[in-house]
Amino acid sequence: MQLCDLSAVKLSRMLRAGEVSALEITESCLNRIGAVDGIPGRLDYVESEQDNTRVHAFITVTPDSAREQAREIDRKLAAGEDAGPLAGIPFSVKDVFCVENTPSTAASRILANFSSPYTAAPVQRMLDAGAVMVGKVNLDEFTFGSSNESSAFQPSPRNPWNTERVPGGSSGGSAASVAAGEALLSLGTDTAGSIRQPAAFCGVVGMKPTYGRVSRYGLIAFGSSLDCPGPVARSAADAALMMSTIAGEDSKDATTARVPVPDYSQSLDRDLRGMRIGLSPAFLQITYPDPDSGDYSQQPVPEEMQRAVMEAAAIYRALGAEIIEDVPMPNTKYGIPAYFVISRVEAASNLHRFDGVKYGYRTKNPVRDLKELYQRSRGDGFGLQPKLRILMGMYVSAAQYSEQYYQRALRVRTLIRRDYEEAFDPNGKFRLDALLTPTTPTTAFPVKDVFGDSVMMQYADQLTVTANHAGTPGISFPFGFDQAGLPIGVQLLGPDFSEDILLQLTHAYEQATVDAEWRKRRPALLEEV
Amino acid sequence: MAEYETVIGLETHIQLNTLTKIFCACKADSWEDLPNSNICPVCTGLPGVLPVFNAEVAEKAVLLAEAMRAQVQPVSFFDRKNYFYPDLPKGYQISQFDQPLAVGGYLNVPVPAAADPQGKGYIRHVRIHKLHIEEDAGKTKNAGSRRMVDFNRCGVPLVEMVTEPDLRTADEAAQYLIRLRQLLRWIGISEADMEKGNLRCDGNVSIRPVGSNDLYTKTEIKNVNSIDSLREAIRKEIDRQIRTVEGGGRVEAWTLEWDEDAGVLRKMRSKETEADYRYFREPDLLPLEISSDWKQQILADFPERPLDRRQRFMDEYGLPEYDADILTQERGLSDYFEGAVKAYGGDPKRVSNWLMNDVLRMINEQNLTPVEMKLTPVYLAELIQLVDAGTINLTTGKALLQQVQDSGKKPAQLVEEQGLAQVSDQEAIRVVCQKVIDANPAEVEAYRSGKETLMGWFVGQVMRETKGKADAKTAGSILKELL
Repeated sequence: MQLCDLSAVKLSRMLRAGEVSALEITESCLNRIGAVDGIPGRLDYVESEQDNTRVHAFITVTPDSAREQAREIDRKLAAGEDAGPLAGIPFSVKDVFCVENTPSTAASRILANFSSPYTAAPVQRMLDAGAVMVGKVNLDEFTFGSSNESSAFQPSPRNPWNTERVPGGSSGGSAASVAAGEALLSLGTDTAGSIRQPAAFCGVVGMKPTYGRVSRYGLIAFGSSLDCPGPVARSAADAALMMSTIAGEDSKDATTARVPVPDYSQSLDRDLRGMRIGLSPAFLQITYPDPDSGDYSQQPVPEEMQRAVMEAAAIYRALGAEIIEDVPMPNTKYGIPAYFVISRVEAASNLHRFDGVKYGYRTKNPVRDLKELYQRSRGDGFGLQPKLRILMGMYVSAAQYSEQYYQRALRVRTLIRRDYEEAFDPNGKFRLDALLTPTTPTTAFPVKDVFGDSVMMQYADQLTVTANHAGTPGISFPFGFDQAGLPIGVQLLGPDFSEDILLQLTHAYEQATVDAEWRKRRPALLEEV
Repeated sequence: MAEYETVIGLETHIQLNTLTKIFCACKADSWEDLPNSNICPVCTGLPGVLPVFNAEVAEKAVLLAEAMRAQVQPVSFFDRKNYFYPDLPKGYQISQFDQPLAVGGYLNVPVPAAADPQGKGYIRHVRIHKLHIEEDAGKTKNAGSRRMVDFNRCGVPLVEMVTEPDLRTADEAAQYLIRLRQLLRWIGISEADMEKGNLRCDGNVSIRPVGSNDLYTKTEIKNVNSIDSLREAIRKEIDRQIRTVEGGGRVEAWTLEWDEDAGVLRKMRSKETEADYRYFREPDLLPLEISSDWKQQILADFPERPLDRRQRFMDEYGLPEYDADILTQERGLSDYFEGAVKAYGGDPKRVSNWLMNDVLRMINEQNLTPVEMKLTPVYLAELIQLVDAGTINLTTGKALLQQVQDSGKKPAQLVEEQGLAQVSDQEAIRVVCQKVIDANPAEVEAYRSGKETLMGWFVGQVMRETKGKADAKTAGSILKELL
């Protein structure tokens, strides 16, 4: 155990008690990065066998500025000044957030040379709270994926629990860096499950806040109506610390909510008795259309995942919560098709600005005219996933198809939102405080296993995506491990602005299982260091 | 040869004179500023930025909607209009599409006799289709083999206002623009200067046989940067369309560009297939809600519209149309006039004469605005009253205008200080008359032998002696008596 393996809450206490310096904590993370991360992601890299033994979470490590920040924290503490609630806590940033004077690549060739002149709002809040940024972590290109393999920066991140497995995505670098002790916290984004799924795969806590709870200013947009920045951490208490810092109204993001931000750390230990936690059959199966016939087929999620949910429910029952079974959530099965349409329309439009004119990649080849400049710059600069999404987004938003696809998807989205409203209606039939589900249908899959099959990869998001449609919060936390020794995540979904309750429930599960055998496990990779 | 009727619709872009841009805090007006000097990450569309709506834009747009008697929608939406161009840094323009800020409305445009083939003048009722808010794009220009982009104009707020195809002649189109420009300045929401591009106009023109109610294929005229150019471009396009049809051809849906220097229209592109802008709701902005409270606040000081005031000046003050038109060209002038009429209390036409003959010239020549005048409406009224009462004569009165303006003093005070009061004392004038008669025996002789036209000369001599202060009528009758 090294400093970087402790919790942010504990390190904060030690720092304030003078038992450790901010610089020591930062050095501990930088050492860990040096020990386990291997080659950082880069363009045009050809992988070697050896890369399969390292985490590769980072695209850019920022040791100099991190040390400088840490020294400043130590100076403040020594001078008795307020160093901020996250003073000295190292964090990583998904490389889809702009940070002044650092490359902000979105893991795409088209932005490989882009250095932002400004810093994203949630990153700025972390810095203002005294947190120390150790670097920017890898992701699927423009967040388009669930495995991190689509990054233009290779080698792509690996799962610290088994480096032959993917860390999940698109916040794979975030989850991997936190799981491997390279950072205490990470700022990720969730558009269909992109925080929760990698958190589940890597055995860490990941929260998708309510839409509008955390500012999107400075986040390179994917699906603007779905994107939510949120925390990745090793415990509910650490995530609560980070949420209290990054949440809140922002004058630069008109879609942020004017709802007061509670101190999420204060409510962690509240009593669970009388709380109502729901289970839904719709979240224990994956429904998918046959690509040829269009008929829906259903497949139950694996026994192991179902059992995890039931066991977690039993623990909550034992803590005094009431378990409500058979909550219908009937429109869950439409989540992915509607997401396919809405997210791609927004993505295609959001990607328009990358045209080789103002910043980013511009073709080196001579061009005849402006149109060819666009075509070649975008053709060379975008990887496969952005191209697929632009094609589909352009198709379904075309004037003659918009009604059939886009407008219809928006109506489906309203129906999904209604499912949530009914489940959480305090005067309704179910009156739930939270819904308990598996986060993912499977644990981390092997590298190259489903990559390229974007339909299958998308259907794996069925359990997480509806919260993005509804705009409601969700959290994934480690339940335990599967037979193969890979982390299993379970998910809690709640009504608007119920982050405090989701964190409280997660914390309660952590406390109830604090002595469990599986909690003593560490990624094999860390045993070497 | 068949007779044709022209059908014209106008699409205007009005640059609002807000302090800052529509979605960021950059200064909105970049006139004569260096290229790319009023820009920030938001208006240049850097990755990750988000728009934040400037409420002043809504306020000015609501004023315009009210001025056009359009219906402001309690909720309107922003949409993305997607297309690629180097001056559009996000690759989409944030605009409004199917739920615009306001719909309907009209402008009753007076068409003067000079522009009426019947020579009488008439009113053209022009309906407004819709009125929406959007952001402006930047500018590109070629410099040798290089193409330069200036983003200063990116994010400058615009209102796009589209008329129904209700205009019938090039003159009507020009009159509509004249009245629109007047209105924009009147309510203070735009500088409305076409040369500077803060009022832009595209014209849609088609022809049809007289008697038909169908709409025939139209062409779109772009790049006109003055009202005269618009009139001329539309005239030329009407001629071209008639020649085309008369020659057995068919009008095609072209977009035409006005070449100001050559005075000709050039074909920019065929418009057979409409561009698909893939409009969808802008997810980064909330719907624009104009509550009735807010609307009331915005319209609290809404002024009388210029054409309404013009009509009222004719009805209430009995002004001729010509006077009413000139006096309501500009809001400050019309306020000045009305202030003077109220202070004066007499015949408004008299105030109008003074204003149009003299005060307006001072305003124009000295480059003043009515509200800046030291010769206030109250002083002007007082001055006219002094002339009416015979305290000073007309010549003195007119000379005093500039003196009041220069000194800022009350006219009565100036009259007092300079002893300008007209000499109306019979005895004093009689003394001067006798003196003139005694000094000019030859002229007296001539007059008495029948040369009565010399009376004018005698009066002139008396006026000279009194430095113009004598009442000419009184002097005349005394002279007649003495002679």
